[in-house]
Amino acid sequence: MTEQAMRPQFMGARVKRVEDPRLLTGQARFLDDIDVPGMLEVAFVRSPYPAARIMGIDTKAAKAAPGVRAVIAFEDCPVVLWQKDAYEVGQPVLAHGEVRYVGEPVVAIVAENRYVAEDAAELVTVHYEPLEPVLDMYRSIAENPRRVHENASNVFFYKKYTTKGFDEAFPAAAHHLQETFRTTRQTAVTLEPRGTAAMPDPASGRMTVYASTQSPHRIRGDLAELLGWPENQIRVIVPEVGGGFGMKANTYPEDVVVVWAAHQLRKPVKWVSDRTESLLTDVHARDDIHEVEVAFEDDGRIIAIKDHLMADGGAYPAYPFSGAVGETSLASRVLPGPYQIPYIETEIHCTYSNKTPLGAYRGVWGPIASFVQEGIVDRVARAVGRDPAEVRRINMIRPDQFPFRNAAGMVYDPGSYGESMEEALGLIGYDTFRTRQTELRKEGIYRGIGISVFVEPTAMASSEAGSVGYESVFIRVEPTGKVTAAFGLGPTGQGHETTMAQLIADQVGVNVEDVVILHGDTDSAPFGGGTGGSRSGPIGGGAALVAGREMRQRLVKLAAHLLEAAEEDIELGNGQAWVAGVPDRAMTIQQLAEIAYTHVKRIPAGMPIGLELVARYQPERSVSFSNGTHVAEVDVDIRTGMVQVLNYVVVNDCGRLINPLIVEGQIYGGVAQGIGSAFLESLRYDEDGQLTTTSLMDYLLPEATDVPRMMTKHLVTPSAGEGGIKGMGEGSLIGAPAALVNAVSDALEPFGVMVNRLPVTAEDIRQWILA
Amino acid sequence: MEITCEVNGQPVTVEVEPHWLLADVLRNQLGLTGLHLGCEYGVCGACTVLMDGEPVRSCLSFASQVAGHQITTVEGLAVDGKLNRVQTAFINHHALQCGFCTPGFLVTGTYLLQQGKLLNREEIREALSGNLCRCTGYQQIVDAVEEAVNQQSANAVECE
Ligand code: FES
Ligand code: FES
Repeated sequence: MTEQAMRPQFMGARVKRVEDPRLLTGQARFLDDIDVPGMLEVAFVRSPYPAARIMGIDTKAAKAAPGVRAVIAFEDCPVVLWQKDAYEVGQPVLAHGEVRYVGEPVVAIVAENRYVAEDAAELVTVHYEPLEPVLDMYRSIAENPRRVHENASNVFFYKKYTTKGFDEAFPAAAHHLQETFRTTRQTAVTLEPRGTAAMPDPASGRMTVYASTQSPHRIRGDLAELLGWPENQIRVIVPEVGGGFGMKANTYPEDVVVVWAAHQLRKPVKWVSDRTESLLTDVHARDDIHEVEVAFEDDGRIIAIKDHLMADGGAYPAYPFSGAVGETSLASRVLPGPYQIPYIETEIHCTYSNKTPLGAYRGVWGPIASFVQEGIVDRVARAVGRDPAEVRRINMIRPDQFPFRNAAGMVYDPGSYGESMEEALGLIGYDTFRTRQTELRKEGIYRGIGISVFVEPTAMASSEAGSVGYESVFIRVEPTGKVTAAFGLGPTGQGHETTMAQLIADQVGVNVEDVVILHGDTDSAPFGGGTGGSRSGPIGGGAALVAGREMRQRLVKLAAHLLEAAEEDIELGNGQAWVAGVPDRAMTIQQLAEIAYTHVKRIPAGMPIGLELVARYQPERSVSFSNGTHVAEVDVDIRTGMVQVLNYVVVNDCGRLINPLIVEGQIYGGVAQGIGSAFLESLRYDEDGQLTTTSLMDYLLPEATDVPRMMTKHLVTPSAGEGGIKGMGEGSLIGAPAALVNAVSDALEPFGVMVNRLPVTAEDIRQWILA
Repeated sequence: MEITCEVNGQPVTVEVEPHWLLADVLRNQLGLTGLHLGCEYGVCGACTVLMDGEPVRSCLSFASQVAGHQITTVEGLAVDGKLNRVQTAFINHHALQCGFCTPGFLVTGTYLLQQGKLLNREEIREALSGNLCRCTGYQQIVDAVEEAVNQQSANAVECE
């Protein structure tokens, strides 16, 4: 074994997070903690109607209120999102002539503080003439009762795909079944609400924007484009972000208004959403219908799936990522999941309605598609009278079939599909479950088990956060030998300051605590896509490895020159460079750095002065698939309809792990969100188009008592990309809802129940049992 | 009106309006931004502080009510710059991700620690059920609180 290999490897180790101390002592700075002298605050007057014409706006009283500095309507700030993009309709940042969803911003009040701004908002009178709202997807497709946007069809995205041979294969199969799967609107509910602060920098004249976002460069680009400013006049700084989950990957109307106001007033301006505004106006997600027909054989082999996908995109495509399009188009391509289903036909309709725009929420298409796909498998199993695990085995893609092209043309890199399922079944004790289940049923206890085998496309070239397929790292070994690296990522709790430091420390040969990771400041970070779509680990981490390696090569070259040895003989580690086998022919990295910056005559010819470089990494494959299996065991109380999750197992394969502690945290968090998705969370509109779930008393999040202790196991099928890393931020929420509702279906098998909606409530269950 | 109270062991006198909320006064007047506002109506627990050792929601309390009382915020949990047992356990168990909910959990966890009782996991989940976390799924938080509370109680039992 060489000395090199004996060095502690930070990659793969359970390194404690460097972020934690500041967060544990109340020293972290979130958006609302930013306060500078003279800072003004904003409150928005929002539409109380889902659809109405604006007949007039009276702002006189608000303008005259003491402490109010500006009252802004569309005429003052005539900025429209999507002005030069794909969609025909642009969203005015403040409603223009018509309101199209409850909560849409109409007027902004800028005042000395939030109390004053909110009081003044009450003084604004908007005269509305209500219109009949468009609320139902089927009716919207038929332009019924009307168009949401006069000049644009309600169907703003349509696509059809058919595998060659589908038309012959589908009718030829022995059996067919039909089901309609429905998911209800949900939303990310980051514990920290959205917010933006903007302050003109008096020295440079530039605008500094503090944004609670996942994608610092993207929002800078959006603001520059929308406001018509040169990009270099805007500096975006992302403070500590209290959760994102895709919801903070958008640029919102409020962001633009706040920046515009700061520019006009030449004053620092801040807006922080309250919880009601969050539930009304943070992008919603998961408003989808899948009308499915399945063709299968006697043994449970699935031959073909036909799916009509519909998503209610809300009043506007969320900027710059329409969740409706993301949810349906990706679902249509990954619908076969881990199974070798040869034929598929999908048709997609995305429609407008008078509801909040649909955007991203962790997993985007995934929780929906997995719920449909695993629901199909369980239905087939019940139809042919075989065990659900057995039917999965029959259909599962085998290891020798990788790379596997699925029926929709997506190519999966190697994974551990069957293995993950067998491991998970073993961990939960599937073998003996059926006996236990039968015994318990005799006692009136309805216990069920649900399996969900998922694939998770990660590291996608484009996702809700990144329009670019690469990430960049600026790395510098400081004259003291410490390392600083800056990223264009936008972490929201994933611990990038730790994981990226681990990767770099290994490469450069220093300890992890000697590496400082910077992110979220467009002045210091090289251009990057940001965090979302499970791309930060594989692409950001890949860039960290490339940057670290290039820096290592520089250090090796310098050390070889100074120690008069061949480059191949130089080892790096523990902050030292030495000649292999001769540990006392060594220099510290600090000594090397000092020479690189100050005694530059000693640098070998051709080597640049200093130790700084920028590296970029774009994976060769545009996507890499993580995979895994979730198994849930639940009890359903048939009197109350209440579900209790008893046991939960996750076997996860995200390639090589950077930090298992952090990977497990992502898994536990995603499963808890899955419990919310399966049983609790639902944004409900009434027949008038009013959102009735505008507080956390109505929109229920899982509490500590709703979540069981989970068991996790890691399998490792490396990707072909840098470090063998695959992404994994979303898989846990992709897998969980399907496992949970399948467990409910299994528990209620004696009643013939097959869950076809997310979430499934106690009320639904009671009704099914009565029926 | 002027109120005097003790905040994190220091006597404090501050001018407040009767309708000002404790959360706002701690954050805006006293610069203690460790407590967070996740809902402003008592559901999420991110604003939890201790008043005379008992957890209270600072978003539901008026500042005027704390006159003459002792308040402890997350900034006051570490003693002499040393993290307390709950804070340390949070690092060891990776019990925080974004950290927005964390101050509320630490305050509640410290309260449990100060009760000096042995608690099983179900009791801990129950005790933490008034604090919402969207990132962690609670598992590592329960692990951390379990370790902190039960280590402490084990020591106390040994001493007796
Ligand atoms: S902010 Fe006080 S409980 Fe949520
Ligand atoms: S760590 Fe993010 S809400 Fe708890």
